[in-house]
Amino acid sequence: MIHVRELTKSYADLRRGHFVALAGISFAAQPGEIFGLLGPNGAGKTTVLRILSTVLRPTAGSASVNGYDVVTQPALVRHQIGYVSCNTAVYDRMTAWEMVEYFGRLYGLDDETLRERMEDVFRRLKMEEIRDVPGAKMSTGMKQKVSIARAIVHDPPVLIFDEATAGLDVLVARAMLRTVAQLRDQGKCVIFSSHIMREVERLCDRIAIMHRGHILAEGTLDDLRREYEENDLEELFFHLISDHELNEIGVAANDHSP
Amino acid sequence: MSWTNVKLIFLRELKDQLRDRRTIFTIAVLPLLLYPLLAMIVFQVQQFRKENPSRVQIVGASDLAPLPRLLADGHFAPELCSQAERRLLVLDIDETPPNRLPSSEVAARARRDLQAGRFDAVVYFPPDFARELQRFREKQADSAAADAPPAAPEPQIFLSTASDKSRVARDRLWSVLNEWRTSIVQDTLRQNDLPLAAAMPFEVNNQDVAEETGKRAVIWSKVLPFVLLVWALTGAFYPAIDLCAGEKERGTLETLLSSPAQRSEIVWGKLLTVMTFSMVTSLLNLASMGITGTFILTQLQKIASSPLPVEVGPPPLIAVVWLVMALVPVSAMFSALSLAIAAFARSSKEGQYYLMPLLMVSLPLMTLPMLPGSQLDVGSSLIPLTGVVLLLKSLIEGQYWEAIKHFPLVTAVTASCCLLAIRWAVDQFNNEAVLFRENERFTVSLWVRHLLRDREDTPSVGEALFCGVLLLVIRFFANFLLPVPTHWSGFVQTTLVLQIALIATPACLMAIMLTRRPLAALAVRAPTFLSTVPAAALLAIFLHPAITWLSIAIRALYPLGDDVLAQLKPLDTMLQNAPLWQAVLLIGLTPAICEELAFRGFILSGLRHIGHRWIAIAMTAALFGIAHGLLQQSLSAFVVGLVIGYVAVKTNSIWPAMVFHMVHNSLMVLLTHVSRSDVSEHPLLSRLLVPASEAFGPWTWLARWIGESLQSEQLVYHPVAVALMLAGAGVVVLWLRRLPSHASAEERLQEALDHQTPAPYSAKAS
Repeated sequence: MIHVRELTKSYADLRRGHFVALAGISFAAQPGEIFGLLGPNGAGKTTVLRILSTVLRPTAGSASVNGYDVVTQPALVRHQIGYVSCNTAVYDRMTAWEMVEYFGRLYGLDDETLRERMEDVFRRLKMEEIRDVPGAKMSTGMKQKVSIARAIVHDPPVLIFDEATAGLDVLVARAMLRTVAQLRDQGKCVIFSSHIMREVERLCDRIAIMHRGHILAEGTLDDLRREYEENDLEELFFHLISDHELNEIGVAANDHSP
Repeated sequence: MSWTNVKLIFLRELKDQLRDRRTIFTIAVLPLLLYPLLAMIVFQVQQFRKENPSRVQIVGASDLAPLPRLLADGHFAPELCSQAERRLLVLDIDETPPNRLPSSEVAARARRDLQAGRFDAVVYFPPDFARELQRFREKQADSAAADAPPAAPEPQIFLSTASDKSRVARDRLWSVLNEWRTSIVQDTLRQNDLPLAAAMPFEVNNQDVAEETGKRAVIWSKVLPFVLLVWALTGAFYPAIDLCAGEKERGTLETLLSSPAQRSEIVWGKLLTVMTFSMVTSLLNLASMGITGTFILTQLQKIASSPLPVEVGPPPLIAVVWLVMALVPVSAMFSALSLAIAAFARSSKEGQYYLMPLLMVSLPLMTLPMLPGSQLDVGSSLIPLTGVVLLLKSLIEGQYWEAIKHFPLVTAVTASCCLLAIRWAVDQFNNEAVLFRENERFTVSLWVRHLLRDREDTPSVGEALFCGVLLLVIRFFANFLLPVPTHWSGFVQTTLVLQIALIATPACLMAIMLTRRPLAALAVRAPTFLSTVPAAALLAIFLHPAITWLSIAIRALYPLGDDVLAQLKPLDTMLQNAPLWQAVLLIGLTPAICEELAFRGFILSGLRHIGHRWIAIAMTAALFGIAHGLLQQSLSAFVVGLVIGYVAVKTNSIWPAMVFHMVHNSLMVLLTHVSRSDVSEHPLLSRLLVPASEAFGPWTWLARWIGESLQSEQLVYHPVAVALMLAGAGVVVLWLRRLPSHASAEERLQEALDHQTPAPYSAKAS
């Protein structure tokens, strides 16, 4: 469903020349599974997901969603995905209903289908009471619900959640995770990025641990635990990252020694 | 692009803006209140305003006695000026007898007093003024003699033109002293028993034949376009900032970008919204100003005892129609510009900063046409905005022929500006670096290092544009610094310096310094197909007659000024008398190499990163055209530039472009060297070239129209030959079209993006 091959992203940077945000990563995600991207801030999670949502273009490598290439067929890719991130806000001067309706139309839904889908989504996400509340008057939790509704109104096969629980209280975050799990059960391919171990541990079928543009480890949780002989995910994560940093320092030191 | 999506986005943005109280206020409420308020303030201020009297010192007036009186009771005499004028001139009369005041001392004192601000002006009558004047008058009486008696010494007004008050004082004094002089003349005439009419045998009378609406049109034609444009810009700018930078700030832009709407649909939707606001703001302001202005002026006319100096009344209906029609392209242009700028800005605050530069560029373009004497001609119609305003002015004043004549140019310029601005806005939305721009540390040294360290194979768009502008600037200064050649060797020198040092060298240096592969940057490589080199030569030969006629037509439509013709004449003669081989080398070969290296080499290579080859070709051609200096030449050079650009892009090499350019220019030189006797000797030539007077056969009106720019002896291509060869050129172009050509990475991507087939909604299937 999602295939990412040798994906590289670098930015021109005045001081450092080229800053590499993604150093050739590869992974694949299938329908009916939640693929987790776990990594500290600045690991490159958002960059990958922005490339998958065609908002950014990769420098090298390729990625495809449901068979469509993100570089040459971005409009088609966007039809296949629902994208929720902490950067995708809702419009202040539109009500929840209007907002979801607007995006439903942009996705090309006809009137009848759109109405059916919206009633369904609003019921499932328990959003009936905020139907006519404008964005400016919503709490963070309500806004996130609207974002999810906006992302799933066209029933896309692929859903991308980028740090979607950031800033939510425990109750809302739990409800949100439940929704994500339900989406997986409906057979969607879900990509879920987070820096919170517990969320990833509870939710994801497979995870990739990212750091500084590299994927350090990838597999099911059980695979990783077996491979690194460490039961606690937080410890595992910490070891991987400190090993990687030590390696990098070693490489850098070798480069500089005569 | 789907117009359903555009409409969807447009309607949403419109609704969103209308739900904003601030927008409603600035768009609708402000203009309705602004003008009545302004008018009220003007009235209030008017009541308090009064004219300041001028302080004037009069020196040496004590013995003016024998003449008609100038002064009375410490003021100017009442018969010389009105009561009001007397009050406005406060006099300080120095009673010292003039013969005790040396003129140098008076001058020094006047200078001191004026600088210290004690007086606004000083009038000085020299010591013998009255006596000499009296003698002069008597002599006049004695003899209506042949020998003219010496005139009296001149009174002087000391003033400082650096001070407004001083200049006002001078003008007031002038009118009084003039009146006094007239009364002296009349007095003299009376003394000699001559009729007063002897000094003023006739008066000149103005007869105004303008109609009422025409007079009103003149005033409105100056004011309305300006107001219209300023508000179209302001009305576009603020919504644009909110729609782009504001959305970035609020985080809703990424939401929209990850929806299936294409970038061009988003831009068009937003553009239409911004345009709507621009036009509505403009129209409301225009209406409010028109109504308030008309109302006030009519009121004033009722109050005023004498008729006002200006004709008042509502603007003629036709003027309003023209204005509204012109508003559409103008606000489209402003909206697209504002949108591109707003997309570039990181935040609304940063966006606001860009309004000033935008105004700085567009205000002079809007005010230029309001200067007296500026009129619609080929030069002004090529300037964006200025052309539109002047066209509007001509239309409102009813000069339809002028308007029709320049309509194509103005439309072409405005349309290309609009398209470029829209394209720019779309590119901004496609440019992730612009959409996700973050603050980074910027220092000049870091930037220069980055330029030299992170070089690409070919120049970037920015570097190419910089090169183009740099060449134009160099060219501008070279015009003043290079001597105007007076003989052939001087002409050779100037041309060589211009071509080699000022065109080819900067481009080559930039290629070496700013790119990794200078030869690729200059497109110096073998063409994909060698056969394209002779094909380019053939194309140049086939197109030459048509292009020659094009430049003749341009000159007929937009004739050269007499001074320009006078300047060109010696150069033409020089070229005709020069040895043919030298002329071909100088005019044919040198520019072909130098200009091509710069334009189809460095600049075109860089501009192809835009991703649209025709935009790259057209921009290169525009720079190439402007570099030709003379406007009429620029227009035909632009067309030639388009053809050479196409040849260069299709063949992926500079060589065919150089060959085309060389053949084209050499044919031009050859044409000046062919004489009528040559033509009559060669039967083939006589079919091809005919004297201008015979070229049109029965179509004499065409001949008369074009004839003004041609001498009847001049040899031109026969129209039939032009048509035949144009057909030949068409064949060559068709052949070129079929050749596979190299595309830049950006062009390939754009190609792929343009050919995505929209997927039908497939939720049910999944």
